[in-house]
Amino acid sequence: MKDIFTDFYNTILGFFRQTEKKEENAKDVACNRLRVVLMQDRTNLTPELLQRMRQELIDLLSKYVEMDKDALELNFDQEDGQMALMLSIPVIRAKEEAEIEAEEEKTEEKSQTESTEETEPAEKDDETEVEASDTEAEEECSSESDIEVDAESEALDDSEKTEENVK
Amino acid sequence: MQLCVEPNQSQAKEIKGETMSGRVIVITSGKGGVGKTTTNANIGTALARAGKKVVMIDTDLGLRNLDLLLGLENRIVYTIVDVVEGRCKLKQALVKDKKNPNLCLLAAAQTRDKTAVTEEQLKDICEELKKDFDFILVDCPAGIEQGFQNAVAGASEAIVVTTPEMSAVRDADRIIGLLEAKEEIKSYKLLINRVRPNLIKSNDMMSVEDVVEILSADLIGIIPEDTGIITSTNKGEPIVNDEKSLAGQAYNNVARRIIGEDVPFLNLEEDTSVMAKVKKFFSGLIGKEK
Repeated sequence: MKDIFTDFYNTILGFFRQTEKKEENAKDVACNRLRVVLMQDRTNLTPELLQRMRQELIDLLSKYVEMDKDALELNFDQEDGQMALMLSIPVIRAKEEAEIEAEEEKTEEKSQTESTEETEPAEKDDETEVEASDTEAEEECSSESDIEVDAESEALDDSEKTEENVK
Repeated sequence: MQLCVEPNQSQAKEIKGETMSGRVIVITSGKGGVGKTTTNANIGTALARAGKKVVMIDTDLGLRNLDLLLGLENRIVYTIVDVVEGRCKLKQALVKDKKNPNLCLLAAAQTRDKTAVTEEQLKDICEELKKDFDFILVDCPAGIEQGFQNAVAGASEAIVVTTPEMSAVRDADRIIGLLEAKEEIKSYKLLINRVRPNLIKSNDMMSVEDVVEILSADLIGIIPEDTGIITSTNKGEPIVNDEKSLAGQAYNNVARRIIGEDVPFLNLEEDTSVMAKVKKFFSGLIGKEK
């Protein structure tokens, strides 16, 4: 007797649940939107600044590794009340020492010749984009490697823990 | 200066050489309309019912409401502005509650703005009241401007009121950031108001756990949405006086936690819908038959 009522109740409840489920869960949407907006509130980092940081990190890291720049992710995350900047870099291959040195020389030459143009940040962005496509052209695709590196980034506040998750 | 309401007690205290050192708790939220004043009135009343000496300070100058919630609007003679401008003594401005002599209100001025009282003046008032009361509850105005700064000035603890809504949580996060920057605030706790278990169950509302995780703050209370709040406000009688009310119980539990008791959180997950009640009723009957 008791079971009949329970079944009846569950069926009715199930019916209403089904109709509700078609739309995206309002609670999860709220949580996700809030997380994003609070990260911005807490850090005072504007999307433009974040983009600039991303670009500078790419520039720095591409000296040492070849990576899939479009798949690079830079996000804030929260762990035990501590803000963390999560950087996920899909690495294609690590560069060799000779390559790195060669690139260093190249950038030194570049900075000598183009130093006058680099004053405006907008121009700088343009310049780095050109550089990025250069390295992509060089691409000698070897097997994808999985390296995990934890490192404190100097580009950030000490209070913000940075985790570089290099895939 | 003694401002104890009961002269006999104060004399006794003088003889023993004891002075009370009350706890100053500011109740704040950032966003308006989340239930700061209701929380203040109810926690204050609950603490007084538990035998503590409580004074509530309404710092929402120009928009006072705490007097209404306590049903004391007709008894106010002097306000906090009269105290700081020297028109009366502090103890003259304290309005005693109708039912509970342990409970007092220092009302805000309705005709003045936030600049009428300074941070220093509020700090002094709190220091003075600490000598004679166990708890000084400061009702903070909405916003993060001078009114907030004033209210927080004399406090060493804070209760941040929020609801499981995005805008309220965002504003609570901002307030928590400001409180963390204040050296005087030794601890702050989160109170989640207007929780609707049915909406949480159907995943339409953020749960208490979600809010706590997002804000990463300690919880001091979960108050369910209760239509009784509206009637109690209309009557000018805090809902903690109604022992049957769920919100009243929840507020009573908050007061007990403030005193230091270890009280479990109310189980709001229990289905209170009509269908659940019908089901419970029938299963009860069947249980008896067996």
